[in-house]
Amino acid sequence: MLLRMLNRAEEGIISLLLVAMTLLVFVEVVMRFVFDSGFLWAQELTLHLSAWFVLFGVSYGLKVGAHIGVDAFIKKLPEIGQRVFSVIAVLLSLAYCGLFIYGSWIYLAKMKKIQIELEDLPIQTWIAHSILVIGLVFLSIRLLQLLWHIIKGDVTGFSHKTEAEESMHLAEELASESERLDEEKK
Amino acid sequence: MTTATLFILLFFCMLIGMPISIALGFSSIVTILLFSHDSLASIALKLFESLSEHYTLLAIPFFILSSSFLSTGGVAKRLIRFAIDCVGHIKGGLAMASVMACMLFAAVSGSSPATVAAIGTIVIAGMVRSGYPESFAAGVITNAGTLGILIPPSIVMLVYSAATEVSAAKMFMAGFIPGIMMGLMLMAAIYVVARIKHLPSQPWPGFREIMSSGFSASGGLMLIVIVLGSIYGGIASPTEAAAVSAVYAFLVSVFGYRDMGPLKGKPWRHSGEGAVAMVSRNLWQSLLTFPRALVDKEIQHTVLDAAKVSIMLLFIIANAMLFAHVLTTERIPHVIADTIVHWGLEPWMFLIVMNLLLLAAGNFMEPSAILLIMAPILFPIATKLGIDPIHLGIIMVVNMEIGMLTPPVGLNLFVTAGITGNSIGWVIKAVLPWLLLLLLFLILITYIPQISLFLPEYLDKLQGYK
Repeated sequence: MLLRMLNRAEEGIISLLLVAMTLLVFVEVVMRFVFDSGFLWAQELTLHLSAWFVLFGVSYGLKVGAHIGVDAFIKKLPEIGQRVFSVIAVLLSLAYCGLFIYGSWIYLAKMKKIQIELEDLPIQTWIAHSILVIGLVFLSIRLLQLLWHIIKGDVTGFSHKTEAEESMHLAEELASESERLDEEKK
Repeated sequence: MTTATLFILLFFCMLIGMPISIALGFSSIVTILLFSHDSLASIALKLFESLSEHYTLLAIPFFILSSSFLSTGGVAKRLIRFAIDCVGHIKGGLAMASVMACMLFAAVSGSSPATVAAIGTIVIAGMVRSGYPESFAAGVITNAGTLGILIPPSIVMLVYSAATEVSAAKMFMAGFIPGIMMGLMLMAAIYVVARIKHLPSQPWPGFREIMSSGFSASGGLMLIVIVLGSIYGGIASPTEAAAVSAVYAFLVSVFGYRDMGPLKGKPWRHSGEGAVAMVSRNLWQSLLTFPRALVDKEIQHTVLDAAKVSIMLLFIIANAMLFAHVLTTERIPHVIADTIVHWGLEPWMFLIVMNLLLLAAGNFMEPSAILLIMAPILFPIATKLGIDPIHLGIIMVVNMEIGMLTPPVGLNLFVTAGITGNSIGWVIKAVLPWLLLLLLFLILITYIPQISLFLPEYLDKLQGYK
């Protein structure tokens, strides 16, 4: 129950960030054309929302298999080989997260010490940039989960959904619709 | 040594199935740690800045959002009806209309596989019913679907401008003529085949029907007019045009077409309803829809889908910028460029080599990933040889189109195999004659830069820049 609520919250936050970015730019355009004015802070806010959107969403992307990758080679191996290479891939990805979390931590600590605000918005830089650590910690947690599943043998590696698979739902929707129409004719 | 480390790490990570984004970031950060003096803190900041300092990048999520609202079966059907009314009466007209529908849907959706899935499902069956060979129908659609990344607005072009800092607006201008030209080439080839094989034509529908189907398709078509009009006219940046088009797409699909959301299935006019009753009913229904749209399952799902794709692409781009940073600071492309100039390689020879390289890469990776890895390497070399950056971009995009038709990663092949229920081998055979046409087109684009450069230069002149 709690887990499902957390999932919904995660999806909600991601969608909300995307919609907020879109509307901000849209309102800015309308302001410029209709009222010939604008907000000084809008651009900085939009760009920071976009950084939060991406870094917060990366771990979600891993969960739903949104990240693209090359699996032409690894799919040719026997299952045990796939799992061994996938474990290496996950460990290297964790190293990536580790390096970035460490680097971000040093950077954020410095920013907190010198107390700089963003250019246009009255927000502390270290707070605005804190998503670097948050997002990558989430990514590490999801990578550890994946590692556990690979070792247990539930999955053989990263799941990469291609655009082609994503597009097939359109085809299915149309095909089922035309079948329904055919039946109605009979 | 630096170069070797970077590329060996990158290829190893990609081969073992790491997500391309992490593979790019990991190989870059390790190379930086080993061979340069940048601190980890500054690299972390760079990753953040690549997302928070590039306003043009925002066009990518906005266009993806707008296309996910309009990439629906309903829009596909309206565009197909309009296309058949326009060119269906010519010999082989159904096939030509499919190409036209692909071009229009491609412009609205910006995605090649989605175009094949949406248009192909309807028209391939339709063409077979009216007496076309199935392999002919499948070949045409699989090919025409690739136009999705060439006809602006195109997400792949935005990725190219992100990788090279070439103006996205210029790329959108440059893709227009090649896109139309490729469509016309396909149609001309279809006409010739239709004459030889005596393929059927449709009856002439009459102007009333064309007007009516044109009106019904205009909701989707207006999007192209708004986006291209405002960018070509220089009144809005691609980012702003994309945000407007996302809001427009939401309004059209929820309130106009009613393909999704609370109004789905509710007609504009019930039979026998008076004009006043209709207007007032639609008015209060639409007003009620705004709050209900916020909690609508289907709309939430559409937004989340767009978010997933955007996050994936932007995260690759952020990491690719680190990769490009390593390339530039280590002056890797410059060294290659100097070597090439030293060998006395002419620009036309370089273009052949580049095309072969990109075609090979297209067999294994998706277009945006290839562009982000290859563009930062090829771009400085091409500039040194005097090749126009915009022309280079169009050549790369056309190469990516071909990559969607070649196994093992040809996305369009998989979609066509899925919708026709045939094997990949069968689809490849069906596509082959049309693929040759696309290769001919690639040669034309590569060696006649004016095809790509005419429109951007002309528009520049109109606005008095030159």
